[in-house]
Amino acid sequence: MAATKGYSIWRTLVWLGLVIVVALIAGAILGRVWQAMAAALAISLVFQLWRLHRFEHWLRRRRFEQPPDYDGLWGEVIATVSRLYRRKQYHKQRNVRMLREFRRLTTAMPDGAILLNAENEILWFNQHAADWLRLQRKRDYGFRIENLLRHPDFVNYLRRVGTDGQGNQPGNQVIIVPMPGEPSRWLSAYLVRTRYVQQGLLIVREVTRQMSLESMRKEFVANASHELRSPLTVVSGYLDALGEESSGSSLDESWRAPVEEMRRQAERMRSIIEDLLELSQLEDHREHAGSDIVDVGGQLSVLKKEILGLPQHPAQVHLRLDTNAQLLGSERELSSAFSNLINNAVKYTPVEGEIEIRWWADEAGGHLSVRDTGIGIAAEHIPRLTERFYRVDAGRAREMGGSGLGLAIVKHALQRHEARLEVQSELGRGSTFVCHFPARRLTHAA
Amino acid sequence: MEKSDLSHHIHSRYNDELERVRTQVLQMGGLVEEQLKRAVQALIEGDSRSGEEVARNDHKVNAMEVAIDEDCSRILATRSPAASDLRLIVAVIKTITDLERMGDEAEKIGYIGARLAAMEQPADRYREIKHIGRLVADMVHETLDAFARLDADAAIAIAKKDRLIDEEYEAIQRQCITFMMEDPRSIRRALDVLWVTRAVERIGDHAKNICEYVIYMVYGKDVRHVHLEDVEKQLKLRGARKVE
Repeated sequence: MAATKGYSIWRTLVWLGLVIVVALIAGAILGRVWQAMAAALAISLVFQLWRLHRFEHWLRRRRFEQPPDYDGLWGEVIATVSRLYRRKQYHKQRNVRMLREFRRLTTAMPDGAILLNAENEILWFNQHAADWLRLQRKRDYGFRIENLLRHPDFVNYLRRVGTDGQGNQPGNQVIIVPMPGEPSRWLSAYLVRTRYVQQGLLIVREVTRQMSLESMRKEFVANASHELRSPLTVVSGYLDALGEESSGSSLDESWRAPVEEMRRQAERMRSIIEDLLELSQLEDHREHAGSDIVDVGGQLSVLKKEILGLPQHPAQVHLRLDTNAQLLGSERELSSAFSNLINNAVKYTPVEGEIEIRWWADEAGGHLSVRDTGIGIAAEHIPRLTERFYRVDAGRAREMGGSGLGLAIVKHALQRHEARLEVQSELGRGSTFVCHFPARRLTHAA
Repeated sequence: MEKSDLSHHIHSRYNDELERVRTQVLQMGGLVEEQLKRAVQALIEGDSRSGEEVARNDHKVNAMEVAIDEDCSRILATRSPAASDLRLIVAVIKTITDLERMGDEAEKIGYIGARLAAMEQPADRYREIKHIGRLVADMVHETLDAFARLDADAAIAIAKKDRLIDEEYEAIQRQCITFMMEDPRSIRRALDVLWVTRAVERIGDHAKNICEYVIYMVYGKDVRHVHLEDVEKQLKLRGARKVE
């Protein structure tokens, strides 16, 4: 480049020099040196101006395909401009192509996508999002998403993810709302916020099928357990009668033990069915539990008394109430969760063991812990404890007569109170189950 | 939207306040819409618990009305808004009153629904209430959309739908009267059904009012107590100038 440029300058200078020399010679011959010089320079100036004019004309008309064919410096300038233009054109086409491909891709995407800025104003969305959320292309750009998607659950979700700043905690991620204007169709929404660029991407997906399968499953469990209850009542009624008579003489001695066993198993079946019904009821109400005032201390005292009334119970049952705070929620659900936790502790703690129940509150909220010195749970089982019918030791659990649903009930009841279950345990040393309730669920009345 | 603009920048807090009020109104609307849908569903499914919950949740709607009202008063006092801002505030103050009434009607439906749940379901399982409920829920949803988008054309179209709902209401009324004459034992339930239908119909009327406020906000023209066809004609004649 430098070489050609230098060459061009030299060539131009040589040309200028030639013009001056010719003018000088002509001037010397005619005897009017200065006039000849002036005329020659004026002609060359006009010539250059003409080229400048042509160049400007060419630039303005943007007919880059047909550059004027000049040599020297002008030719260089024109070549450089053409090159720059071609490069720009190439990049532009590439960008347009990429954008078009991106558009096509987002339209083909099975999910709806909405791009939001920091104020939750809509920057862009794809076709699916427009169809499902009844958004209007172009027109709805710049509107706040919560002005158009006003479902209270969604608004709360947006606020929650917005304040967390991360919103990437599992469990908090997805919200399910009915499709606007289509009450029988459901959408799941998931907001991803980037921390550095203050933008959010809202992914929307239709989950009508999953929801209807889910509700069919729930209905089936509820109906099946309900239907199972009546025949079981009849069976256990007869078994009870037989068992009682067996104390007399009408029942053969060899039948006594089997009948006893049958009564026990029928009792277990009843408790499984009760738990299933309880669980399906908890699942039925998706939103958070109501806000009745629940006296935790009172409930725990009653539960403690119940344990001490059992024929076999750990020698020491301590109850520590460090706060008189009360919970806002559903009395029945909380009571069922607490009794499941405490009964578990009783079941897995030997008679000489110890159970400590503690209820306390701090800035983070309310906490209830149930600590036992029982057999403990191996670490690999802990994450799966709250699954339905999950058993650490199948044989042992059956012996104890549990339904395998206790902790699932606890988990669901706590979820409905926005609470979290924490499990610490060491094999052979005992376990601690802690329920963490958020501060907004606490009340210090009375 | 352009925040680089200097004059906008000075008032950006003011703009934020106005925008926040609008968002709050729409959220209140979303809550009312949800209350209505759940109340009607509780009634149809005979779910007394859900019906009672709707009745209990009405206080949330009331609390929002009070909060928005306060914000509006504060903006009026401190910013003395003019032109379109003033119309927004005036429309908001009126809208929240209507929304609150809608919430009350939803509460009534929830309450009656809880009571009806104890009784035997009629053969048609409240099909007509389901229908009118769906109509009104759609109407409320579209009204709030028109409010969010400041879409006066949509508002006029929605307001016209109110007639449809009135007709539906009349039909149900006649049906209930027939039931009562045929079987005096059904009078109690028929009366409750009438009350519910009446509440649903009232919600439609309130939605229509909100549509009128939307037209007022956009065109600066009060269209209450005027026939909708006349409104449309007038707006077209004037070349539908959107006043700033």
